[in-house]
Amino acid sequence: MKVRKLSLPFSSEMISSLIQGDKILLDGTLYTSRDLAHTRLVELMRAGQPSPIPLDEGALFYCGPSPVPPGKVCGAIGPTTSARMDRFTPFLLEHGLKVIIGKGDRSPEVCDAIRKHGAVYLVATGGISALLSRCVVSRETFLWPKLGAEAVYRYVVQDFPCYVAIV
Amino acid sequence: MKTAQRLLSDALIQEKVIEAIGKIFCDREPHAQELLTKALNSETDELARDILDDIIDNAALAREERLPLCQDTGLLVVFARLGVDVRLEICLRDTLEQAAAIAWQKYYMRDSIAPDPLRGQLDECEDIRSESDARLPIVLHLEQVPGDGLSLDLALKGGGAENMSALRMFNPSAKVEEIVEFVVDTVVNAGGRPCPPVIVGVGIGGDFELSAILAKRALFTDSDERGTCYRELEKDILRRINERGRGVMGLAGRNTALEVRILTAPCHIASLPVAVNLDCHAHRHIRVEI
Ligand code: SF4
Repeated sequence: MKVRKLSLPFSSEMISSLIQGDKILLDGTLYTSRDLAHTRLVELMRAGQPSPIPLDEGALFYCGPSPVPPGKVCGAIGPTTSARMDRFTPFLLEHGLKVIIGKGDRSPEVCDAIRKHGAVYLVATGGISALLSRCVVSRETFLWPKLGAEAVYRYVVQDFPCYVAIV
Repeated sequence: MKTAQRLLSDALIQEKVIEAIGKIFCDREPHAQELLTKALNSETDELARDILDDIIDNAALAREERLPLCQDTGLLVVFARLGVDVRLEICLRDTLEQAAAIAWQKYYMRDSIAPDPLRGQLDECEDIRSESDARLPIVLHLEQVPGDGLSLDLALKGGGAENMSALRMFNPSAKVEEIVEFVVDTVVNAGGRPCPPVIVGVGIGGDFELSAILAKRALFTDSDERGTCYRELEKDILRRINERGRGVMGLAGRNTALEVRILTAPCHIASLPVAVNLDCHAHRHIRVEI
């Protein structure tokens, strides 16, 4: 297992140098999005609007964080099951999405689309929220605060551990 | 002759439940922690070992920092055994749902409960809980037992593992082998989605819903509570799951499952329901005796 320290955004050359099973310590910006935010995002884009999330800049992180306790930078974070977002992923990849972080298998269709668009799917470990929250440098609510845990949050992370699953 | 009844106050039960949630939101059940350490010692794959290290270290850090083990702080599932000689002030569900709401606020846990399962898609049904509602919906299984105690088995059940559950109504002439295959396939096909290594609860018998309840209940048991009858079968299923090599987080290694736990109940001669319910490595379970 090779461990690589990498910064977002990823260039195409960088993505094509990744090997399944590599461990990545990731620096950069993550935008959280899960079921409801995906539904909204894709509805907006299908209606012809540009994506309010800069899809090619950071990584899309399937995550519904827990509230921030007083005195902390963030609450608990971690990946949720990616397969639930499979229905939206090929469309987002067509619109520039390059780096996805979640957990669990993807459908064959999503695997193909990830490869076709030169993107990468990274798996983060579920249930290690205390460790992951240590990697968070800053956190802000980015979109749709009313959605609570399902809103889009913007995290800047450092040395965020994940593994290359599909590339 | 009438026996004296023991009064258990709403306040006392709430206090114990809030305290118990305060333990498990940031720490897994000790036996599961031991099983993970054993898994790490037996694991030879480098990537799997790397993840197991993090899973084990996370619990120590979470406990110390009072941060959730996992951002999915789950749904509160309670198996309650209420002594017949106990008198309660208000219904147990009211007490527990109020305690849950307080605990969730107190420990900064994620409110993961959608009041409307269809998320407000139908115009008639709103997906909002009123701000003034001082209760958090839970799942409660209540049974009466002799005595004047109240025993509560609590779990914070995450969605990822729960979603990989399965139930099949087998033909009663089905061979044990068919059931084993069903359980093994359910766990293996779940891949990384339930955050393996998982604990596998299996319910055999009863009827449709009882088999599912047994599968969930099995997750709360230790081997003494389950008896010896199915012990070999549990071991056999565990071995066969881990041989298939989906591994830690569905990525690598041979530790897909930590334990298989089977509970059974008598069933109709025409039926053979089998249910599988998974719990992730977070395994936030605790027993409260009052
Ligand atoms: S399955 Fe368990 S460890 Fe994984 S995200 Fe859900 S609650 Fe957390």
